[in-house]
Amino acid sequence: MKNWPTNSSRTEGCTLTGALSVSTSIADGLTIIHGPDGCVHHNASLLHALWHENEEGLFPRIYSTSMTEADVVFGGEERLVETLHAANRLHPGVICVLSSCVAAVIGDDVSTVCDTAGVQAVVITTGGFLGGGFSRGVSEALLALSSLGRKGEGNGTVNLIGEKNLEYEAEANYEEVNRLLALLGAKVQLRFVRKIPAHAISSLGSASLNILRDPSLTDVGRALEARFKTPYLSAFPVGLGGTLAFLQDVGEILGIESTDAINCEERYQKNLAVSFSDLDGSAITLDRGPVTSHVLIDELQESFGLVFTDQGIPVRLPDPLPVGTAGLSRLLHRWRRACRA
Amino acid sequence: MKQIALYGKGGIGKSTTSANISAALSDTGLAVLQIGCDPKRDSTRMLMHGRLIPTVMDQVRERGDREIATEDIVFSGYGGVRCVEAGGPEPGVGCAGRGIIATFQILERLGALSGDVIVYDVLGDVVCGGFAMPMREGYAQEVYLVTSGELMSLYAANNICKAIKRLSGRSRGICRLGGVIGNGKGLDQEEELVSRFAERIGSSLIFFVPRSTVVQKAELHKKTVIEYAPSSAQASVYRKLAENILANKRMDIPEPLEVEELEELAYEFIKD
Repeated sequence: MKNWPTNSSRTEGCTLTGALSVSTSIADGLTIIHGPDGCVHHNASLLHALWHENEEGLFPRIYSTSMTEADVVFGGEERLVETLHAANRLHPGVICVLSSCVAAVIGDDVSTVCDTAGVQAVVITTGGFLGGGFSRGVSEALLALSSLGRKGEGNGTVNLIGEKNLEYEAEANYEEVNRLLALLGAKVQLRFVRKIPAHAISSLGSASLNILRDPSLTDVGRALEARFKTPYLSAFPVGLGGTLAFLQDVGEILGIESTDAINCEERYQKNLAVSFSDLDGSAITLDRGPVTSHVLIDELQESFGLVFTDQGIPVRLPDPLPVGTAGLSRLLHRWRRACRA
Repeated sequence: MKQIALYGKGGIGKSTTSANISAALSDTGLAVLQIGCDPKRDSTRMLMHGRLIPTVMDQVRERGDREIATEDIVFSGYGGVRCVEAGGPEPGVGCAGRGIIATFQILERLGALSGDVIVYDVLGDVVCGGFAMPMREGYAQEVYLVTSGELMSLYAANNICKAIKRLSGRSRGICRLGGVIGNGKGLDQEEELVSRFAERIGSSLIFFVPRSTVVQKAELHKKTVIEYAPSSAQASVYRKLAENILANKRMDIPEPLEVEELEELAYEFIKD
């Protein structure tokens, strides 16, 4: 069933939340939600709670147009104009404007209002029920914000596209990708979009490679390739073999010989197997969560001697899957604790 | 209290018919409330001698819904008929359907939905749930479809039957089709066609109002026919219509026709 009502996967929730997870990560940006206060309240509370959990005590900078019953009846465009001007007086690096469901239902023309209000703003399409959920919101936000990028010649650097700002291990995953790129002598130019000032987005078009966080962002990768001629890889690396393949792919695109980097990583992976040799023969039961990877499970059996059975220690694969060799190492640490508990 | 709602294609004469029914009923001594449920806000204009009264939504916009008093939105017209216009947004913005829902909430809160008869005059097409509001929540128990013999008018009436059928099937749905009011455009065999249509959807023709120039004259004088030409044949027609509605006990759940069936029906009368 396409719209199964019990589907509570975080990737298929609210389009608005998905877009906010991107727009609020612009350090000097300000996001306006054209809708009732409740949309800001719920989303700001959620973002704040998750940021707090990740030890970032900030509160997301979100404004509401505070639509009321009367605005729903008569149209809320004037509210949006007023809010745009109020936001502009704060001189943010960028103003993003998102539409709530109710504003989309009554047909408020957010794009035209922003075009004519005399305030520069990036409009992100987020009328949820019109199609798509959280992931769609992320993509729409990235596509809209890419309009701030300027075209440039490929300078040998890498952009990371669509890091999952709400995931617990976002920084650890970034560090892992950075470590792998460093093995090749490559650098990250822009984290699009995570903890960056708005002006940094202008460099979006000058990298030589875009690495998407996961394949759900393929449309974004294609759009950036069409506009800036920047090739893309569709995901952060997963698994031992996947990490080695990642190094090879990045090397090929950037024109860097990758043999040394791959050899180095293979040694690291072998050392990892040694350091977790105590898990050899451990019987574990995989709790089928929202994601799985047969390739990863096979690697865990072959390289670490784990035995997957119905009567072992219950463990689960995280969502999203662990990134790179270091991600796998963190996963094995958790499983080791479970086995020893 | 009898609550009736008139639905039909835009421009078919719902407001003229509603106003004349209200006027005729008030002449019999009944306390009548007419509510225009259309952003055009002209349902009660003839009862108010051409005056476009402030709408409920005008008042909401100006002072907020909590500051509204009954006298701000209920106005006395011909024969003491209490007139209300829901109003709504300017064309092309906002949500008129939501405005109807808000109007009903306000009227309910103010206790303004009272009298012997309430006449709801509703926008032609039930384009969203808001315009079905008079059929919901126990407001209008009887819906009357106003139609001429023109195909598009019958088509709109047939469409409204779908809404009535859907809403009457709900556990709290008390709304039924009271009948069809023919509003003549001067076509051949028009009354027979409208009558056959009513029969085919499982209802009946309550009354057929023939075309008359008195209607236009009355409107030019900003009055209902009942007031402008009380002794005219057309005034008698409206009185008879009001009488039939008042006496009507037949309430049906309609069975809308397929488009092809509707076209065949109309074609039958053209060929003849």
